[in-house]
Amino acid sequence: MISLQNLTKRFGLQTAVNGLTLDIPAGQIVGLLGPNGAGKSTTLKMLTGLLAPTSGTATICGHDLLTHPMEVKRNVGFVPDSGAVFESLSGLEYLEMVAALYGIPAEAARERIRQFIAFFDLSFETLTDKLLGAYSKGMRRKVVITAALLHNPPVVFFDEPLDGLDANAAVGFKALIQTLAREGKAIVYSSHILDVVERVCDRVIIIDQGVIKVDGPPAELVAQHDARSLEQLFTHLTGGDDLERKAADFAKTFRP
Amino acid sequence: MNESQTSASRTLQQLYLTLFLRGRSARGLKKGKAPKSVAGKLWGTLAMYGLVGLLALTFLSQTSFILSFYLHGMSLLFLGMFIASSAGEILFNKDEAEILLHRPVEPRTLLWAKVSVLTRISLWLALAFNITGLIIGSVGKYGTWLFLPVHLASTCLAALFCSGSVVLLYQLCLRWFGRERLDNLMTGAQVLLAVGMMAASQMVPIVMRTMGPTTISLSEKWWIFLLPPAWFAGFDEVFTGRGTPSSWALAAIGIAVTAGVLALAFGRLAASYEEGLQNLAESRPAKPRDPAQRRLLDRLMDAPPLSWALRDAIVRASFRLTAAYLLRDRDVKLRVYPGLAPMLVMPAVFLVQGATGTSGDIGIAFAGGYLGLIPLMAMNLLQFSQNWQAADLYRLAPVPGPAPFIRGAIRAVAVVLVLPALILAAVVVCVLPNGPASAVMLLPGLIAMPVYALVPGAIEKTVPLSKPAEEAKSATRGAVMFVLMITALAVPGLAIGAKMIGFFWVFLLVEALLAAAICLAMSSAISRKAWDPLE
Repeated sequence: MISLQNLTKRFGLQTAVNGLTLDIPAGQIVGLLGPNGAGKSTTLKMLTGLLAPTSGTATICGHDLLTHPMEVKRNVGFVPDSGAVFESLSGLEYLEMVAALYGIPAEAARERIRQFIAFFDLSFETLTDKLLGAYSKGMRRKVVITAALLHNPPVVFFDEPLDGLDANAAVGFKALIQTLAREGKAIVYSSHILDVVERVCDRVIIIDQGVIKVDGPPAELVAQHDARSLEQLFTHLTGGDDLERKAADFAKTFRP
Repeated sequence: MNESQTSASRTLQQLYLTLFLRGRSARGLKKGKAPKSVAGKLWGTLAMYGLVGLLALTFLSQTSFILSFYLHGMSLLFLGMFIASSAGEILFNKDEAEILLHRPVEPRTLLWAKVSVLTRISLWLALAFNITGLIIGSVGKYGTWLFLPVHLASTCLAALFCSGSVVLLYQLCLRWFGRERLDNLMTGAQVLLAVGMMAASQMVPIVMRTMGPTTISLSEKWWIFLLPPAWFAGFDEVFTGRGTPSSWALAAIGIAVTAGVLALAFGRLAASYEEGLQNLAESRPAKPRDPAQRRLLDRLMDAPPLSWALRDAIVRASFRLTAAYLLRDRDVKLRVYPGLAPMLVMPAVFLVQGATGTSGDIGIAFAGGYLGLIPLMAMNLLQFSQNWQAADLYRLAPVPGPAPFIRGAIRAVAVVLVLPALILAAVVVCVLPNGPASAVMLLPGLIAMPVYALVPGAIEKTVPLSKPAEEAKSATRGAVMFVLMITALAVPGLAIGAKMIGFFWVFLLVEALLAAAICLAMSSAISRKAWDPLE
C-alpha cells in the first residue's frame, strides 16, 4: 500500500532523511519513532506532498508521489502535529470545506460529520456556532482527525494525534485506528508516547538522523535487543542511556 | 480545469472570502458578529477612497482620455498597493500549507482562488475611488453614457493585470533565484513593488502636466505606450466610440499584456507556486554559528550610546526582540518595509525636487515631515505578528504594564529604521546642488519625530508583536497611511509659513519646546498604562 524507495531529503548540506526504503501493506499500523529532528515529520510531509523529496520516490496505493501527486493526495489522510486549522471558521464550516475539496457531496459529508461528532462526543451546536479559534486544544484535535478521515482514505498518517485529547478520547481513538487497520487501511503513527505505540502498533520503525535503526514488531525488537521495554530500546538506540544521571545533575543546580 | 478542480476552486474562493471578512485568528470574534460582505467590512476605507475620488472633479474640463488616464493611473496605484501588501501573507501563508497542501488541490486552483478574492476586494476599492470619475465621464463636458460600462470593464481588466503582475513577479523571483532565498526575495520584491507604485504615482501628475488640457498627439509621445494607465484609457476611448489609431494600439497592448501576464502567472509558472508553498513547510536547520562570532546587533547593544539607552533589562529584551523581528522575521518584514516604502519614496522625491529648485524649501520641509513619520508607521505595524500568542509571555512576567516593552520597541525602530533613513537623507542632501543650504528645512519634521514615535504607544498601547497579523488589514492600513501623510504636511507647512514671515528659528524653538512637553506627557501616559485583561 505504501512503498518508499531511497526517499531522501536534504536541507542544504544537512540530510534530514537519508535513503529511506520500506513497504507498508494494507491493514498494518506502523509506529514511527525517533528523537526530535530524527526525520519523522519530514518523512510524513514528503509522503503527503507538503515537501518535495530531494531524491528517491514513493508510491501510495500504486500512485507515484512525484508523477501523480493528486492521486496520492486523494488516497491519503493526514493529521499534522501542528493541528493547524482556519481558526475563523466554525468546526462545521471547516469540515464541510474539507469535504468539498475531496468532492464529497454536501449531504453525504453532513452525514459523515454527524457520525464523527457522535464518536468524539462533540455537540453539534458547538461545531456550528463556535469558531475553531475558541475551541480547546483537544476539541480542535478531534476536528483535525475528523478532517483527515472524512474522505475514507485507504492510507492515514498521524503525527502526534493524541496531543491534547482527553483520556477517554485517547482510548476511543486508539480503538478506532485498530478498527480502521482491520478494515484494510494502512496507518502510519508517529509519536513520542512509546507505550501507546507499543500497545497499538503491529510494527515499529525507529529512525535517527534520517536512517532506520530498527524495523519490526515491537515485542520482537525488544526481545532481539535484550531490552526490558520499547522505551529502553529506544533510549539505547538513540543515545539516551545516561538520561537519569543527567536529570539528577541538572536538578542539583536548583538547590539554593 | 476539470469538474473536481472547478468545485474546489469555488470552495476555496468562498474560504478566502470568509477568511478576509473574519480574519484568520478570530480572536474575540463571534461568528454572528463577523462582517458578511466586503462593503460591511471595509465601509470606512471605501468612504475614504470615495472622498479621494472627488479629486476627479478637477478633470471636468479635460478630455475623456486624460480623465481615463488619471482614473486608471490612480486606480492602479491603489490596487497595486493593496494587492502587493496583501499578497505576501495571502499567497505564502505558512500555517496554511499544513491545512491545504496535502489535499487534492492543484496549485493553479489554489492560486487562482486566492487571487480572484484579492482582485474582487481590490475592485471594491477601485469602484469607490472611480464613482466620481464615472459620473464625470458619463455626464461631463466630453461625457457619454457608454463611459460607465466601458470604464467598469477596463477597471476590471486593470485589476486583473495588477493581480497577475504581482503573482508573476513572485513566481519569476522563485524561478530565477531559487527556493533557497525565497523569504528575502519575497520581501525584496514586495518592497520594490510598493516603491514602484509610489514612484508611478508621482509620475502620473508629471505626465499629466506634459499632456496639457487639450487632446494630445499620441504619435509624438512614444513613451505613452509604456504606461499601463494609458493602455486602459485607450480601451475606454475605443469602446466609447472615440477610437483613434493610437488608442486602438493602446487598447490592444493592454488586452494583450493582461492576457500574457495571466497566462504566465496562472499557466506556465503555476507549478513554481507549489514549490514556494513547499519551501514554507520546510523547517530548515540553521547553519551552526561560531560562538566566538557575535551578531552585530549584540555588539551594538553592548557599546555606548546604545548600552546607555538599554540599561533597563526589560527595555533591553524588548529592543532585542523587536530588532530581531525587524531584521529576520519574514512576516514582519513583509508588512513593515512595504508599509514604510512611501515614507522613503516621498522624502526622496521631495528632496530631489527641493534641492534642484523645482519646489525649493517646500520640498525639503515635506521630506522632513515624511521622515518624521517613520517611527509612527513602524510602531503601528510592529504590533502585529504571526507569533502574537507568544506575547502572553509579557504578561506572565512580573511586569505591571507594557511601558518597557513599548520603549524597547521604539529604540529598536530608531536604530534599525530611523537611523539608516536619516543617514540616507543626509547623503542625498549633501550630494544635491542646493542640498546643504536647504537642509535646515528638514528640522521641523525631524523635531516632531519623537512625538510621532510615542503616539501609538500612548494612544493605542502598541505592544510589539502582540496582535494577530490578520488584524493589520491592508486596505484599512492604506487609508490610515493616506490620512497620516496628509496630516504630516501640517508641521512643515507651518514651518514654511514661519520662514516666509521671518520667524523660522522662533518656530523651531517653539516646536522643540512643544515637542518636549508632549513627549513628557505621552511618556508619562505610557508609564501609567496597565495590561488589558486577556480575552
